[in-house]
Amino acid sequence: MLIKRGVAIVMVTMGIFAVEVAMSLVPKGDLLFPSSAAAPGEFPDQWIHGSKSAMDNTDPAVQVHRYNDHTYILRENKAINYEGAFMYVFFGNGVALLIDQGSTSSPALFPLREVVDELIANWEAEFDQSSTHLIVANSHLHGDHYAAWNQFVDRENTTMVGLTHEEVMHYWGFSNYPDERLEFDLGGRNFVITGTPGHQSSEIAFYDEWTDLLYTGDMFYRGRLYLEDWDAWAASIKRLRAMADDYPVSHLINNHIEMTRMPTVDYPIGTTWQPSEPPMQMSLEMLDEAVTATQVIDQAGIYKYADFLIYNEVPWAYTTDP
Amino acid sequence: MAVTKWVGFLALALAWLPVTHAHMLNMTEIQISADATSDVTVSVQIDLGQSALMTPESYWDAVSNPESAPKSGALYRALKALESGIEVVVDGQLRELALRDYRATATSLEAIKNPLTPQMADVQFALMGARPSSESVIAIGLKDTLDVPWPCLVRVDSFAALPISRLLTAGTRSSGDIRLDDSRAKPGEGYMVSAVLQLQAWLPSLTWLVVGIQHIIPMGFDHMVFILGLFFLSTKLSSLLLQVTAFTLAHSVTLGLTTLGYIAAPMHFVEPLIAASILYIAIDNLYSRHVAKWRLLVVTGFGLLHGLGFASALGELALPEGSVLSALLLFNLGVEIGQITVLLTAYLVFGWLQRWPLYRQRVAEPASMTIAGLGLYWLIKRLAY
Ligand SMILES: [Zn+2]
Repeated sequence: MLIKRGVAIVMVTMGIFAVEVAMSLVPKGDLLFPSSAAAPGEFPDQWIHGSKSAMDNTDPAVQVHRYNDHTYILRENKAINYEGAFMYVFFGNGVALLIDQGSTSSPALFPLREVVDELIANWEAEFDQSSTHLIVANSHLHGDHYAAWNQFVDRENTTMVGLTHEEVMHYWGFSNYPDERLEFDLGGRNFVITGTPGHQSSEIAFYDEWTDLLYTGDMFYRGRLYLEDWDAWAASIKRLRAMADDYPVSHLINNHIEMTRMPTVDYPIGTTWQPSEPPMQMSLEMLDEAVTATQVIDQAGIYKYADFLIYNEVPWAYTTDP
Repeated sequence: MAVTKWVGFLALALAWLPVTHAHMLNMTEIQISADATSDVTVSVQIDLGQSALMTPESYWDAVSNPESAPKSGALYRALKALESGIEVVVDGQLRELALRDYRATATSLEAIKNPLTPQMADVQFALMGARPSSESVIAIGLKDTLDVPWPCLVRVDSFAALPISRLLTAGTRSSGDIRLDDSRAKPGEGYMVSAVLQLQAWLPSLTWLVVGIQHIIPMGFDHMVFILGLFFLSTKLSSLLLQVTAFTLAHSVTLGLTTLGYIAAPMHFVEPLIAASILYIAIDNLYSRHVAKWRLLVVTGFGLLHGLGFASALGELALPEGSVLSALLLFNLGVEIGQITVLLTAYLVFGWLQRWPLYRQRVAEPASMTIAGLGLYWLIKRLAY
């Protein structure tokens, strides 16, 4: 009797230890973001690209595309605003980074907050995460990329980086903008950030070590690159090229599509239906073409390249199409 | 035919309608420099020719004939509309603006007319009344009657190290209160911290009651198991109550003495002993049919021990200065509520089985052995560290 009970007690103890050991072997809830190999992801064959009649448009106000489990690309419906701006949500452990808030303020027309809240809730449910902190940040300080910023100001558990140059510099920790490269830890997912002024004087580029995506905002995309400061832009392009020399880059990602599938031909400004849109993502060859441009262009004007047009210090409403 | 053409034109016009109003490069900007030692300036950058305040033609007219513009005409009326339509509230008091200076420029009438080539005017107002202090709270809003190219970025340069930005939209016309010494508190955290602080200000005491309960359920799992150990020996309510009372009185004594600083006990010593007490009580359950007199003494001793454990848990929290005693009493009361909850739950689950002849053999003994196993587990773990 005595032995039996003693054995039972010891068995219970051993059982608890066994459970504890087993629990410690099961990987914790922590998501891992190794930088060793590029985490794969997918772009849509075609983005939702507006419609012939903006009035009849039945597409969602915000297209949410899952690039991979922890990377989401959002696009504002072109029928709501022809900019059709792309926005990004990157997830790390316990934290989400929203870059840019589109071109429309009204939550009725453009319910970005609702979409982002739902995205975070679904992600939390899927990956066993909770109370994710949201960082509301911007690629650069142009109104067509922060119009819905206000929708987040009353959100709990949220950091608003701010809409002034000083606030942006302070948040990311720049002390030598734009030359410096900064590391940013998004819940175990490492980003490298650098300054890319030229289109706008507070712009930053994000390199994600996990997916190897290099996000170039409005300073480099398939469209009309409006440069307010040529020298700054040329230096920024070279800075991006240097980044791509030091880190493997899977794709360049950005904010707009304004080109058609025909080389050098863009859609006119204000187009709300782009049936023959090229992909949004760009390649390093295109970046090299921009590097070449920085060595050639020495005066204001419009310069056409296959995948982008350079509007060097030209009032930006002038288009190549009469 | 004519009708369909007209409908087609209308559809086209409607399709373009949101576009012409949507572009963001001609958005309005208001900047308030409230850090200067001189007067506070409110600077406005606005695409007047694209605003509801004047027509492109009248703006072009004012730009090309600067002499005729002041004190009369459309530009003057537009500036006056801004002066009265921008509401700056400092510490709850609406302040007047006084037009100080402006610079209206444009390259051509065509450029003014094109919403995609913003031709911005710079307008400066002085903020009337006393200069705000670093403790001041400021709010900037636009009257419903004032329509500007949206959205409107507000930038406040204040006593804080960084400027503060807000965005006004047609739907949200006020910045809300902005503290001029705004420390860079993250909005979410700031909200949570202030909510907790407010709750504590309202119910300073109740918080400690809740903290006490939490130290039994769910944080004090070992204490919970000890209480269950007491439960599984006695089927008689009176003897259980006697034991629990002795345990409670004893742990109140050591909790109080330790928290008030009269005694101190090293935790690496106390924690394994608490584990041992659980093991002991459970084994005792297996071998004694009735509550022995000396068991009450043992339980009292263990109570003293557990009190030291509660004290260390409470010590990790900052007790409010000045009301340590009331916080202590409430914490202790919370612990009692937690204990009673555990016992009531045990009664609800097992109480009806106590009359069963096999209760001891089938319920109490396996439960006690499990408790003993847990006690042994904690003992080994705590000795190992
Ligand atoms: Zn831009």
